[in-house]
Amino acid sequence: MGFFKYFKNVFSGLWNLLVGLSVTSKYFLNFKAVTTQQYPEERLPLPARSRSMIKLIYDDEKDQFNCVACLMCAKACPNSCIKLEGVRQADGKRRMTTFKLDFSTCIFCGYCVEACGFDALTFVSEEYENSVYKRGSLLQDENAMKWIRPAQPASPEAATTEAAAPAVAGA
Amino acid sequence: MTDLLLSQVKVGGESQFGTDEYVVNLGPQHPATHGVLRLIVKLDGETVKETMPVLGYLHRSIEKICENRTYPQCITYTDRIDYVSAMSVNLAFALATEKLMNIEAPARAQWLRMIFVELQRLASHLLWMGAFAGDIGALTPFLYGLRERERILDLFEMTCGQRLTYNYIRIGGVMIDILPEFVPKCRAFLDYFEPKVDEYEDLLTYNPIFLERTKGVGIIAPEVGINAGVCGPSLRGSGIACDVRKQQPYLYYDQMKFNECIETAGDCWSRYKVRMNEMRESVSIIRQCLERLEPGSFEAKMPPVLKAPVGSEIYSRIESSRGEMGVYLVGDGTAKPWKSKYRCASFSNLYVLDQLTKGWKVADIMAVLGSLDMIVPEVDR
Amino acid sequence: MLTGENIVQSVAGLLNWVYSQLGISALAGFINPIISSVVMFGFISVFVMFLVWMERKVSAHMQSRIGPNRVGPFGLLQTVADAIKLTTKEDVKPVNRDKIPYYIAPIIAFVATFMGMVVIPFDKGMVVQDLNVGILYIIAITGFTVIAILTAGWSSNNKFALLGGFRSAAQIISYEVPLVLSVVPIIMITGTLSLTGIVEYQEKAGYWFIFPQIVAFLIFITSATAEANRAPFDIPEAESELIGGFHTEYSGVKFAMFFLGEYIAVVVSSAVAVTLFLGGWLPVAFLGFLHLPGFIWFMIKLVSVIYVVMAFRWTFPRLRVDQLMDFGWKVLIPFSILNILVTAAVWLFLYGKGAQ
Repeated sequence: MGFFKYFKNVFSGLWNLLVGLSVTSKYFLNFKAVTTQQYPEERLPLPARSRSMIKLIYDDEKDQFNCVACLMCAKACPNSCIKLEGVRQADGKRRMTTFKLDFSTCIFCGYCVEACGFDALTFVSEEYENSVYKRGSLLQDENAMKWIRPAQPASPEAATTEAAAPAVAGA
Repeated sequence: MTDLLLSQVKVGGESQFGTDEYVVNLGPQHPATHGVLRLIVKLDGETVKETMPVLGYLHRSIEKICENRTYPQCITYTDRIDYVSAMSVNLAFALATEKLMNIEAPARAQWLRMIFVELQRLASHLLWMGAFAGDIGALTPFLYGLRERERILDLFEMTCGQRLTYNYIRIGGVMIDILPEFVPKCRAFLDYFEPKVDEYEDLLTYNPIFLERTKGVGIIAPEVGINAGVCGPSLRGSGIACDVRKQQPYLYYDQMKFNECIETAGDCWSRYKVRMNEMRESVSIIRQCLERLEPGSFEAKMPPVLKAPVGSEIYSRIESSRGEMGVYLVGDGTAKPWKSKYRCASFSNLYVLDQLTKGWKVADIMAVLGSLDMIVPEVDR
Repeated sequence: MLTGENIVQSVAGLLNWVYSQLGISALAGFINPIISSVVMFGFISVFVMFLVWMERKVSAHMQSRIGPNRVGPFGLLQTVADAIKLTTKEDVKPVNRDKIPYYIAPIIAFVATFMGMVVIPFDKGMVVQDLNVGILYIIAITGFTVIAILTAGWSSNNKFALLGGFRSAAQIISYEVPLVLSVVPIIMITGTLSLTGIVEYQEKAGYWFIFPQIVAFLIFITSATAEANRAPFDIPEAESELIGGFHTEYSGVKFAMFFLGEYIAVVVSSAVAVTLFLGGWLPVAFLGFLHLPGFIWFMIKLVSVIYVVMAFRWTFPRLRVDQLMDFGWKVLIPFSILNILVTAAVWLFLYGKGAQ
């Protein structure tokens, strides 16, 4: 290595160290650059489409679950974590009697919700604190998964835009 | 355990001092091995004599499981093959299945796929950049990388509802159309992100310590790389054009204007530089896709149960974030693949680790391992 | 005006009064150093706790995070909580350790670095013991840490720890040389080894040594960072290769002592840098109107230098062990020798033969 090249290397190295230091110092001095969200105090609303918890829709007016135990969800599930039974009622319609979803094997792929043709299963984005203390509590039945749809859609814009989405052009 | 190890190792090296070999287990629980890779390293002082990866700590038998699942169900498993770049694996499987069953996804779905796969490439490269810098000892780029990655994941979550295992790219299209606010948000993100790449480069690229640690370290000679099956950015660092997006375009990559990022030195720094440049190229690809995104259906018309013809067979490959991601499927007339095999970039890239680290120092194992962008679930599957 | 000298004198007066009341005035020369050492120990413990908090805050804000903010105001008591946790947790020990060295190592690491604090002048006269060979003493005493680290690495019967110990031995011995050589020009100029004497020379001369000796300052900071095993020279504990390095097998109080030792080493080396190059307790020239006491100036400078050391840690990658040696022997030592020669030549030219 030549004499001057040696010194050139040392000084360009020093310069590039300073460039790196300037980046970190810039963030150090800019206190607004903090991106941390302090979770238990700051709870961000999840997007409406968020797949965070699966719920069984309960029809308050008819006082029954929407589920008719057609088993489409159980067939669509890649992990066979849905177990449900149904009976044919006196009026000839099938009704679900027991519904068990094992959240310890559920991977929240969403196939069950997509497969459901009776608006019986849904994702709820409001509930996302799914931790439990005992593994057994992850096996939920229809009572634990009961969910009554609010009178108004949770976010009317989302519902309307959802419907309009395919018509929206690229830009 | 020690006895078992020592029995595999010939004690008494060829060192001029007649010293014993020093066998160190890096992993499966070690702060630097990404995930649960175990490396049995034979050392002579600080110098590495042999590196032996021990695989299987994350083996979940995904290929076999997929043979017992229907084609759509397999996609949920492909998410878990490479969870840092799940969209790419989704896409690889979806494209292979579509070819197997002669399904054509509509144009809008193809554009959406390209946007999401390129966003995924950004996310994956960001995580890689942070982990690589962390392996070398700079801890701050990791946080910077994750900070930007979070925004990409927010875009993903807004669209498909998940942040890690998306199950978004499906056979014959995508899961659901984007929200109208996605396009402006995505543009805003790209505008925000582009200067950040320069910032990472300020922090690392010409930092003398970083140069010392990466320049000339772990050189993959082009022929060694090709013989070992190295692919993706790791091989492009050795000056070989192997980008599947250019060589064998899928989706609409043939209509995109982008450069294949190639460096010639083949060392860790070249691989780093290739990935940094790829981030810029991905940004430009996403911009072009957003321009050309056309309205229409996001899903092809498909039979309710997807069945592959008897004896049909396909090997389809894409450029995932880590390199060539190949999917081999054999259909037998039922709704489940008779055979599924995933050709993962990490597995073949890991093969050269021993050659690259022989004669170098312990610290270089981490630099080389980091620069290969290896993901353990993809190695073990 | 409140100065360190006044405080020290009034405290000494108070102590003398107490001694005379107790009738043990004859023992004053024996008790006084003990009391001042204990005061210094208390101060350094609190200061190190502050530094750990500061390091976490600095790194957090550099990485656009918040850092500790739960315990106490601004998270200031986080370190106290950590200390309580470390002292109460189970002390996990490897079975096949060498018992005595394993216990002694953290004590050496802590004591050796702490002893360096004894000669640091915080203000005129505000020093535990003003040795006339102060610099020599500090360099000698901080060199002890290598014994502690090597002992820790060897005795804990762990391959990573042993590697860390070896690395540390090589590193500290190599970086001792440029550290000493970078100080030599200052000693040549001032003609004293006493830290107080060096600051007084800067006061008399009217400039700080950082201006004529910027090269020496950079070399000193670099080698001092390496001596303290701080990133980017933290190869003895490089967590991406060696997990924890020499303290892999230490937990609880013993780990806390290593941790404390590392931070005290940072304080000592930064304090020496402030004393030698940044004028110690002297006020900053253009801020002289503030009329702050000398020890406040000293602390401000000390914290600034420590901030720079922290910024190094959170910005730069880590060197490899052989590159570290190369850097020490091929860059720092030639530059420091060159610096000595140039300084000697310039001073001879300026002040003639035999001056100063």
